[in-house]
Amino acid sequence: MGIAGKVEIRSVRKHYTVDGDRLQILSGVTFDVGSGHFLSIVGPSGCGKSTLLRLIVGLDSEYEGDILLNGERIGGPSRARGIVFQDHRLLPWLTLEQNIGLSLENMEWSAQDKAEAVRGQTALVGLSGFENAYPHQLSGGMAQRAAIARALINKPGILLLDEPLGALDAITRIRLQEELLRIWRVEGTTMILVTHDVDEAIFLSNEIVVMSAHPGYISKRFIVDLPSPRDRAGNEFIELKRLILAELHLYRQKAQSDTENWMNMASLI
Amino acid sequence: MSNLSAAACTVDATETAGKPAAVRSVSLKIGEFTRRFGSPVGLVLPILIVALWQTAASYQWVEPVFLPAPRKVVDAFWLMLTKQDLFFDFLASMNIVGQAFVYGSAAGIGLGTAAGLSRKFEQFLGTTVDTVRHIPGIAWLPLIVLWLGIGAPAKILVIAKSVFFPLFLNTLQGIRSVEKNYIELGQVLLLTRRQMVRKVILPAAMPNIMVSLRYAAGLAWALVVVAEGLSGLEGLGFLIFRAQGLLLTDQLLVCMAIIGLVGFVIDRQMYALQCRILRWQQGFKG
Repeated sequence: MGIAGKVEIRSVRKHYTVDGDRLQILSGVTFDVGSGHFLSIVGPSGCGKSTLLRLIVGLDSEYEGDILLNGERIGGPSRARGIVFQDHRLLPWLTLEQNIGLSLENMEWSAQDKAEAVRGQTALVGLSGFENAYPHQLSGGMAQRAAIARALINKPGILLLDEPLGALDAITRIRLQEELLRIWRVEGTTMILVTHDVDEAIFLSNEIVVMSAHPGYISKRFIVDLPSPRDRAGNEFIELKRLILAELHLYRQKAQSDTENWMNMASLI
Repeated sequence: MSNLSAAACTVDATETAGKPAAVRSVSLKIGEFTRRFGSPVGLVLPILIVALWQTAASYQWVEPVFLPAPRKVVDAFWLMLTKQDLFFDFLASMNIVGQAFVYGSAAGIGLGTAAGLSRKFEQFLGTTVDTVRHIPGIAWLPLIVLWLGIGAPAKILVIAKSVFFPLFLNTLQGIRSVEKNYIELGQVLLLTRRQMVRKVILPAAMPNIMVSLRYAAGLAWALVVVAEGLSGLEGLGFLIFRAQGLLLTDQLLVCMAIIGLVGFVIDRQMYALQCRILRWQQGFKG
């Protein structure tokens, strides 16, 4: 069982050079994720939230500042961090079981232990019975569950979620959000979720950081201390959503707009 | 043709779904036949062609010396099989094709993989490969026969060369078009270089490799006839040119029919193999 990791991000700056032009993606991003916490990063597209996740997972090591995992600087991918991408990224030529087992490929476990772990993980994400299915035979939701199982089977201290539910339909998304919450409770892993769905962020996390774009920086940090299970339609939920949307400049008081008032009245008649 | 093949592949996919054993054993023979050789609809045209041939022979539209009746060709086949060495000539051709195909494709996949993984190695081979590739196998044959004699080795070498290039190029191309996302996934999962090649890169290149294997198998079979016709004293290619020289048109047609049928079987077997290996693929089935 992995120990939930603590992540410290210290004035991280990142730029790309495109055709000789310097394109600043992240400008001094700083925040912490406590061990066992569920933190969501919300922001408009282009704010560098996915780039930040790539830095944390270790796919890209060219950046300024520090990203510390349990006090040590990250240098390349490691078993301590698992990631789920927006596309499930299951290998089409491997069965579900083989895809999940791919994480254990160079672990020095006996074949029996590996099979056991795969079985357990498959059950955890509710895919028992589909072990021998190929990815094209799975629905989007099932494929994403399998991707979560693949990321968790190593028992990483930190699970990075890069808009994992972004490509799913609304109903499957809500189901999988509940599933993620359950998995988080069972595994106790530190979770960092990148999303642009504010509801999703509030439903799942202890903490939400809002990012702004061009170049990306943390504009505000929210602590979510709503009781669980969370009521998606409850007043506190809605209130927090209003604050976050306002931070994203996506919310205006209805009263400010005459047109919208007229439309509201029209809908009452 | 491709229509039939696609149908065959679909049957393969559904056939494996767990049917009760009793039902399976009954439908197995027909299913097996359809899967391997396509639906009986494919037999209609060959039957029409034979009928036309028979008519042309009966009415002597062509002189019998140039177009013997089907019956005479069947007789010639029996004669060649029982009184002559048809079977050994057939084996001689198969032996050459089999060896050439194995060597050529092994070298093609091996070097293609190496070039795909290392740009340096690709550049190292590039000039040579692209020049040699344009000298047809048959143009190599005279020189190689001078070196190795008219026996099997010269033909094996020349055909292996012709098998090598499609495999080399397609393997290289297949590896170069592996999605970067999959490589990234492999990095995140900490796969070693070896595991990355075995689990990610080669399977991703497999559709390209399988297509070129099927193509190369057909090419090799076609080339053996030419190579044997140009040099040597055995094999179907030798028989066909000898029959022409001796004006044994019936024997010539026997050889042509065998070459066609064997080519057909080789192609269908390669296609069945392709369907099996690429069963994870979800494609347009027509």
